[in-house]
Amino acid sequence: MRLTNVSFRYRRRDQSVIRDVNAQASPGDVIELTGVNGAGKSTLLRLLAGLLTPTSGTIADRPAVVGLAPDRFPTEQPFTVARYLDHMARVRGGARWRPWAERLTMQHLLDVRLGELSKGSAHKVGLAQALMGEPGLLLLDEPFAGLDADTRDALPPIVADLSARGVVVVASDHQGGLRCLPSLRHWSLTGGLLTEPAAPAEPVQETRPVTVEVTVPAGEVGAFLGRMRAEGYAARELSEETR
Amino acid sequence: MIALAAFRVAAYVRSHRVYQALLAILALLAILHGSRAPRGLEAAALTDSAALIIPFLAWAARSLLDTEPDRQRELSATLAGGRRRELAAGLLAALAACVAFDALALGWGLLLGVSATPQGAELAAVLALHALAILTGLALGALTSRAILPSPAVSIMALVGGFLAMLMVSASPLHWLSVPVTAWMRAANSGLLADRLPALAAASLAWCLIGLAAYAWLRRTRP
Repeated sequence: MRLTNVSFRYRRRDQSVIRDVNAQASPGDVIELTGVNGAGKSTLLRLLAGLLTPTSGTIADRPAVVGLAPDRFPTEQPFTVARYLDHMARVRGGARWRPWAERLTMQHLLDVRLGELSKGSAHKVGLAQALMGEPGLLLLDEPFAGLDADTRDALPPIVADLSARGVVVVASDHQGGLRCLPSLRHWSLTGGLLTEPAAPAEPVQETRPVTVEVTVPAGEVGAFLGRMRAEGYAARELSEETR
Repeated sequence: MIALAAFRVAAYVRSHRVYQALLAILALLAILHGSRAPRGLEAAALTDSAALIIPFLAWAARSLLDTEPDRQRELSATLAGGRRRELAAGLLAALAACVAFDALALGWGLLLGVSATPQGAELAAVLALHALAILTGLALGALTSRAILPSPAVSIMALVGGFLAMLMVSASPLHWLSVPVTAWMRAANSGLLADRLPALAAASLAWCLIGLAAYAWLRRTRP
């Protein structure tokens, strides 16, 4: 997929939200899109999805099947999770969604009405509908927002699997949840301009010891110190005089 | 596209929005066909129902298109494979709802609103006008849906105002500048519906197609 001089503005007299973007993504690329709030990340994702047409420039070679997981899934719909995903699977031409529901640990949500879902659970439904149907381009808008720890851990391997199958993944992500993937590319959007900074160097392991202060209820001091010592930390209770 | 249209109809029914238009149409039909039209005025009675049901069909079409949250419309477009398919599926779903409501109106009129069923060319003309009423309601509803007019107040004013403007313009000599609904009723009342149908249908169809094309054109920048 190739973006050539892509600019976009919402109205004729508005300033461009996206300015003269040139970029390329090859099959299997996983790209982390960063930028401050209002930088135009969601707009760029919608351009990539084909939902918006560039004011100028072109987006070429977009994969035929696109999956889009929104930052806020629209729950104001009169369906249960299973019925909604059934409908979306039919719209996708008979795609299978149950394997994704299993990987996203959402089987217990299938009979819940969309309007009754928590933010994180609704987010999982958004991810499941985006993942079904073998997308060639997967666009994730803040994919880790509100997810429970298990699903947060499950998502990077899912993205790695898709990448290995040649799927282009672009994720707008403030939380850096995909930084564990070794081949992650970075797009940074500032003032409508897209840059691709070099990948950050591996963080240097800091070995210098530091002392931290933790406040715990008096009755739990012994258990807390035990846990810390079990993990290899030199933990001790401060005496009354040194407090 | 069919699957997406079915999804939208299902959402319209399950959200109970369908009852808003249904109850209003039942009230209209109860008043309109409160007593059977005398012999010889069957076409006039059924033409009146075709003209007067237009704003209710527009309301149903608008309501169906607005059932889907804006964000879901975007998801539907990506799942269906493009914005054009999403647009076509929305119009198809709204058309299905309008056809169902108009079939109810036509069936009620034929069974309870007239003393005898019109025959031949007269019946064909009545059916054609009901088909044009469906298209007119679809176009007016689509043009006043949330994707085009985000403000609910502006949208409902545009819907009602659009129909009133249609009535007033079509009552004037310049009736060809709008869907000529008043001219439909005049022709039916004077017994000339079958004769005047080709000209009236051509103007009506042209305005419906212009309305639907305008909707599609406006949606280019309003996903």
